[in-house]
Amino acid sequence: MYHVSKSYMAGQFALHDLSLEVRRGEFVFLTGSSGAGKTTLLELIFAAEQPSEGQILVLGRNVARLGAGAVPALRRRVGVVFQDFKLLDDRTVEENVRLALDVIGTPRREARTRVFQMLKSVGLQHRRFHHPRSLSGGEQQRVALARALVNEPEILLADEPTGNLDPDLTIEIMDLIMAAATRGTTVIVATHDHSLIDRYGKRMLRLEAGRIVEDHPALGEGFGVGS
Amino acid sequence: MSRVMVLLRVLLTNAFRGVRQARATSLLAVLTIAVVLVLIGSASLLVENMSGILDDFGSELQLTAFVTEGVSGEELSDLAVRVSAGPGVERVAVVTKEQALKRFERIAGGAELLVGLDENPLPASLEIDLRTEARTAEAMGALREALDGLPGIEELAHGEEWIEGYTRAVGLIRSGAWGLGIVLGLAALLIVANTIRLAFYARRDELDILALVGASRTFVRVPFLLEGTLQGLLGGALALFLIRGAYELLLPQFRFGLELVVGSAELRFFTNGESLSLVGAGAGLGLLGAMTALAGWRSDS
Repeated sequence: MYHVSKSYMAGQFALHDLSLEVRRGEFVFLTGSSGAGKTTLLELIFAAEQPSEGQILVLGRNVARLGAGAVPALRRRVGVVFQDFKLLDDRTVEENVRLALDVIGTPRREARTRVFQMLKSVGLQHRRFHHPRSLSGGEQQRVALARALVNEPEILLADEPTGNLDPDLTIEIMDLIMAAATRGTTVIVATHDHSLIDRYGKRMLRLEAGRIVEDHPALGEGFGVGS
Repeated sequence: MSRVMVLLRVLLTNAFRGVRQARATSLLAVLTIAVVLVLIGSASLLVENMSGILDDFGSELQLTAFVTEGVSGEELSDLAVRVSAGPGVERVAVVTKEQALKRFERIAGGAELLVGLDENPLPASLEIDLRTEARTAEAMGALREALDGLPGIEELAHGEEWIEGYTRAVGLIRSGAWGLGIVLGLAALLIVANTIRLAFYARRDELDILALVGASRTFVRVPFLLEGTLQGLLGGALALFLIRGAYELLLPQFRFGLELVVGSAELRFFTNGESLSLVGAGAGLGLLGAMTALAGWRSDS
């Protein structure tokens, strides 16, 4: 990101002259108080918003100049997880995860196999025919994570993924996200939970009023990873 | 299975799921389209039949020139020859007083009516058939002018005013049907568009999630377009069924009254092609409604 600003109203900036580089395969925590600009920064990366100023290069594409027709192709390479899970209640767990494969026309048999493997990796293969409402919060977030990862995205964005979960489930979800990072996925997690940042010892960016006020590098490899 | 086939199946599944999930709004859209098409279809059926009847009348159109009392048989033949030379005349048939009386007696009750009369009160006449191109109110007017005042002709009987009125009525009904069709079609379009827009908003979460996982604009839009087309098809089929039902059930009840108006002219239902057009119009209406509803939606939001 180069000198990126985003304002929704004249003179009021959600992000202000922000420059940032995240390398492929890197794990970054994004922290800051509510309204600091964490969600806006993530939205700019997956092209849900366009910057008011500046350039954003994501996977070699300039998001600031991306036409509407090119956005879906970018999003197929970027997995996104939200605090409120964003699952469809009228679909089963399997159907929710399969959505990401349906939109690219993956044959049914292949899709089923991949969904099963993905659900197995998050420990939910036995719940694949259940509906989200019958699952716990932690299970729902694991389904959302499975949906974000089933396409093997190059980037995983997580916006307060553990905001609705208790401490045990939080660690469970974070370990799954960490596992994706070890497979080479670039991960950016927005959180205001400092215990997580301390626990995993990854690079940390702190935002305040739309500016980066702290860029703390990762500690040594293996620090605090896992439960 | 090819990728296109997989996508097609997913899109169709989503379209049917949409109809299933929003049963009430889908039913409303189907019924709206059906009602509009019943009105438009009935009006066009009526206009078609009236036009057909008018054509039948045209082919049977005849002028009758009643001859002055006391004209001899020879004079009557001469008069027929002179009338034959009139503009637009194809053929002239002579009906003597005796022939007129025989015809009248054939009509039920005719004989009884004449009991007690000493002499035949019916005049001789000339029945004038017109050439096809002269079967118009204007051509009839020209012939009437040519025959008016011809010695031996007492009165000319013709259906000019009736034909004029009938033509005007058909024109009015046809214009009215078009106008009504356009107004109702637009109303249906708006209702269908709003119905689909409601379904669209009801499934906003799903659409947002689809956009999030990289669904293209086409992938999101096509199920709604299919849904609209499907609703239109069902509405069109229902309209055709209702019009056919009304035609079959009501026609026998009103046949006597209709015969008084149209005589022996045959009434007809839509041809297969016209029936398909009606159902196709429903599908088109549904598709157009869906396109109107989706105008302006962006998949990158």
